[in-house]
Amino acid sequence: MRARVVVTGLGVVSPIGIGVSEFWKAALSGQSGISTITSFDPFSMDGYRSKIAGQVRDFSVERYLDSAHGERVDRYAQFALVAAKEALADSGLQMAKENPNRVGVIVGAGMGGMVMGEREITQLYQHQKPHRVHPNFIPVITLNSASGIIAMAYGAKGPNLTISTACSSSAHALGQALHCIREGRADVVITVGADASITPLVFAGFCSLRALSSKFNDHPEKASRPFDRLRDGFIMGEGAGTLILESAAHAKKRKARVYAEIAGYAATSEAYHMVIPREDGLEVAHTMRLALADADVTSAQVDYINAHATSTTIGDAVEAKAIRHLFKSRADKIAISATKSLIGHTLGAAGAIGGIASVLALSTGQIHPTANYDDPDPACALAGLSRSAQERRVKVALLNAFGFGSNNAAVVLKRATS
Amino acid sequence: MTTDPTISLKIRTALGEYLKRDPATILITQHLRDDLGLDSMAVIELLYRIEEAFDLQIPDQDLVGLASVGHVVSYVEKRLGKTASPAPTKKPAKQSKPKGKKKS
Repeated sequence: MRARVVVTGLGVVSPIGIGVSEFWKAALSGQSGISTITSFDPFSMDGYRSKIAGQVRDFSVERYLDSAHGERVDRYAQFALVAAKEALADSGLQMAKENPNRVGVIVGAGMGGMVMGEREITQLYQHQKPHRVHPNFIPVITLNSASGIIAMAYGAKGPNLTISTACSSSAHALGQALHCIREGRADVVITVGADASITPLVFAGFCSLRALSSKFNDHPEKASRPFDRLRDGFIMGEGAGTLILESAAHAKKRKARVYAEIAGYAATSEAYHMVIPREDGLEVAHTMRLALADADVTSAQVDYINAHATSTTIGDAVEAKAIRHLFKSRADKIAISATKSLIGHTLGAAGAIGGIASVLALSTGQIHPTANYDDPDPACALAGLSRSAQERRVKVALLNAFGFGSNNAAVVLKRATS
Repeated sequence: MTTDPTISLKIRTALGEYLKRDPATILITQHLRDDLGLDSMAVIELLYRIEEAFDLQIPDQDLVGLASVGHVVSYVEKRLGKTASPAPTKKPAKQSKPKGKKKS
């Protein structure tokens, strides 16, 4: 029998709170973390079509970490370190008592170290002094800097991987961590999603892609509105989420508190288009179906979906269509929420933060609201969406995440069994 | 539809370069998606070229309705403050508002 995998610790850095209790309280009250970008010093925002984002305000890594590990990494990896610290403390795992070779780290990150990356590139082109490129530039921008620094901070010598599949990165991180433990290659995997690339160039790039909302610059809190008729694009966010995954046997042995089980996972490619999903939603439905089969549950057992729901016109409609296709008439009986309505799209962190919202739905029976779902778009109306928090006993949850590059992921979570 | 020949040619040239085909074969009446095979991303790339060619910034909300080559030409004319130049005795041709569905 394959090993069951459970979640024993949570940590988060988000635009609506640093720390799970602050995040969850804000999420349940439907608080928006979207705010105006005042400037990209020394840039004004005048040339940007979108001027708002889900920003983690007033973050300084020294406030959260005692060690120096945060000093030489980019903002996204600092977020990852802070979320990992909280999750490890929450799990009660004591590294001194663990076999370090059995503790792995898997991080999902879409963009990586863009803060320093952009700065160094700009300076090189401006001043043409290659000898002044910072010696730490390469280690910082290398996409596995977060998984590396977390391993160093905690002496985790097991499998150390970074998954980069754009916006689905950390849903895949959860899935790969599940496989890693199932296959017996680790007892524990510190599973993280992190991104922090609200930077002049990346933000301009998403504006040029016409992917971001630009209608609500004067009302940032109204801009992220998945499944609503007035949605006009996603809102960039930043943050990190960490879930401590471990084998159920290992958790039991150390008498750990179990939040939920990670029961199934599927990864597919639509092999279709770099940024446009297939409009019939069949590939998304197929991905969800595979994940349910992997978890050995039927579509009739799903009580809650944490939707990918970025607030783009086409993406939300495709996901709704896929949900309806797979769940048929039951689609309206499933509670659904869109975490991005509160914090924007945190890219590589989205799967992990959505995973945390799913774990908390399973363990507390509370489902956070979908903000700004004021006027349901008939193209994607689903009765289980609500502007208010919902209370419901959730036994099986489904987490969706889709990424540029024609990439789909789905993760199935189950309520912890005593 | 009467159009400014310079603007029209510039747009058809940009389209021709993007599609790697002779601009002369691109007609003002052609639909970007149905006739020329552009998906929503390709339309965005095309408009990026047009912004450069005419030193324009096209707001997101103006993308709605830019469905045919003619719509794009009319839009650029309007933005540049140029109307078509018919015979001086005639009343200037009325600019038709671009119509079309927004794909994404």
